Amino acid sequence: MLAYIYTLLPSIFDGLLMTLKVFFVTLILSIPLGVLVSIFRLSKIKVLAKITELYIWVMRGSPLMLQIVFIFFGLPIVGITLDRFTTVIIAFILNYAAYFGEIFRGGIESIDKGQYEAAKVLGLSPYRTFIRIILPQVFKIVLPSIGNEVITLVKDTSLVYIVGLGELLRAGKIASNRDASLVPLALVAVVYLLLTAIFTMVFNKVEKRFSYYE
Amino acid sequence: MILKVNNLNKSFGGKRVLKDISFGLKTGEILAIIGPSGAGKTTLLRCINGLEKADKGTIVIDNIYLCKDQNNKNIPAKSKEMKKIRQKVGMVFQNYNLFPHMTVMENLIEAPINVLGLSKEEALNRAYDLLKNLGMEDKKDAYPFQLSGGQKQRVAIARALCLNPKILSLDEPTSALDPELREGIASIIKKLADKDMGILIISHDMEIVKRVATRIIFMAEGRIIKEATKEDFFNSFEDGRLKSFMVS
Amino acid sequence: MKGKKIFFVFALLVLSVFSLVGCSKKSASGEGSNTVIMGLDDTFAPMGFRDENGELVGFDIDLAKEVFARNGYEVKFQPIDWSMKESELNLGNIDLIWNGYSITEERKENVAFTDPYLENKQIIITLAGSSINSKADLKGRKVAVQNGSSTLDAIYKEPALVESFYGGEPVLFDTNHEAFMDLEACRVDAVVSDEVLARYYIQQKNPEDYKTLEEDFGSEEYGIGLRKEDKDLLELINNTLNEMRKDGTFDAIYEKWFGDKDK
Repeated sequence: MLAYIYTLLPSIFDGLLMTLKVFFVTLILSIPLGVLVSIFRLSKIKVLAKITELYIWVMRGSPLMLQIVFIFFGLPIVGITLDRFTTVIIAFILNYAAYFGEIFRGGIESIDKGQYEAAKVLGLSPYRTFIRIILPQVFKIVLPSIGNEVITLVKDTSLVYIVGLGELLRAGKIASNRDASLVPLALVAVVYLLLTAIFTMVFNKVEKRFSYYE
Repeated sequence: MILKVNNLNKSFGGKRVLKDISFGLKTGEILAIIGPSGAGKTTLLRCINGLEKADKGTIVIDNIYLCKDQNNKNIPAKSKEMKKIRQKVGMVFQNYNLFPHMTVMENLIEAPINVLGLSKEEALNRAYDLLKNLGMEDKKDAYPFQLSGGQKQRVAIARALCLNPKILSLDEPTSALDPELREGIASIIKKLADKDMGILIISHDMEIVKRVATRIIFMAEGRIIKEATKEDFFNSFEDGRLKSFMVS
Repeated sequence: MKGKKIFFVFALLVLSVFSLVGCSKKSASGEGSNTVIMGLDDTFAPMGFRDENGELVGFDIDLAKEVFARNGYEVKFQPIDWSMKESELNLGNIDLIWNGYSITEERKENVAFTDPYLENKQIIITLAGSSINSKADLKGRKVAVQNGSSTLDAIYKEPALVESFYGGEPVLFDTNHEAFMDLEACRVDAVVSDEVLARYYIQQKNPEDYKTLEEDFGSEEYGIGLRKEDKDLLELINNTLNEMRKDGTFDAIYEKWFGDKDK
């Protein structure tokens, strides 16, 4: 049994690599983009706020899988052809930025008006006020919700199969169909659980670091 | 005159909150604005601090117009002038509005570094001196949630003073304090006025007004009802409206 | 300043992602006329899948390699999601669908098929000791089938027989694999599955444990799908496959993956 699991590891590891690539690129790019989305969504420029609202509605209101399909198979019809990995990354970032945007919006709206006024009478620019005063407080508030999304993202990475990219779950399916065995899938489940356990731990650490004030 | 307010008017949704308000403030003076709630005191203070835009009238701070009238149109200061004005007026909010994620020291040095362009060292030195004057130097690394109400207030005062303002305005400085702490804030305010600064206080608390004010303005329903030196003011106790306010 | 730096780095990252767009490929066949890209579902053992080392192997892979080697073509394999195969073909991401691809009338409207190269029967499998010996014996028994498969379509061509199953309908599983596991657990009495998958599965386990009935639920044929305009390539594949049948190469590859043909 152990010997068999050992033979599975190289392909599972390859799949894991793709999963982690999609995961980290998405996370690193969609969080800042999410902040931007929340700013646009709360913008006083009505058109910008409305367009952002529409974007959020589309991204959250339709399955991520369909969004991937549209970007990969639909855009070539209008002359935009993207390769597989680019497609997946763009779809994931756009989708997750919408979710993060709404989380950040909730966080920003929960900050006391007095914080803006205090910054204003001190003469801080709106940009500095946001970066130094508002955003750090928002991060602390939204951290648990972000943690939730991150766990979802780990599992959502399996959707990249739709454009034929081999990730963790697909690696498990291949081995499972090949060897007529459930063991590869069980192994994949363990890897997912380990991943989510690690990220949960990381987030607990980060939350602790943010708990220096109340 | 460090502050001149002339014919200031302000409405919220058709309701006139400030009606032709005119007064001035001199360096070294402690001016208390009193009156029942809804009199428009806080709105007036917010206008002077640029948190609300007046509809009509002028505010001049150290010879710079915060707003003025031109052909019946209200012209606010340009952003460059506004930046200067911000440095001249310090504000202590009723609930202090300290930045909860920053230590006392970080609260104090943020604006001097970013607005005045001080080096970090200069800002730290200035902040430390101010904290020391207020007896707060041992709390410099504490976070606001670790402080009592009185301590928070002193940090808020220090934060406002870090920009070397010409005017310090305080919104209800005693409302959130225990009675025994009110004594402390009174002596702090008195000490500050000795410097090159005018102080503007909004308050309900007649005790503190009696203790610190040099001049008093009484407001009701958006108007200035009476303006007098402290002595004159407390001698004209026969005014029924004033009396009812003081009882409440 | 720190904040500005963060935004700058972020802008760079976004730019770098979008610059990837520029270097994406246009059409599979545009890479030179001697390269063809074959699309396959790399989870589909034994037709095309990955071995322990991650190499693509399988019956279709071996056939394709032989066909194109004989004609001086280079073949590249592109894993795709099976549900997207026709879109991938018509967009030019791939040049062939060659992966246990059944020929149907509906598909013929969008895709040009080669001559059938493999017949795939819908066979009935039981455990070796079972008393089921014919389709009629399935009456009152639990019969497992993969959901959404061509097998399911095949058994419903005999609705009366399906009616006679235990519960009046087959037990549906997501994969054939699960259907077989239920057979081993004796929770179902028989599995109907396509021959290719069933033979491969049984070969992975102990072939002595299973029994394949003489009767079946009809058959379908596998072909290779191409874009309709690629007529030359279609003819080339047809000719080469015929050649391989004559010289015995085809049978050799068949036996490698499915065991003895007559068994």
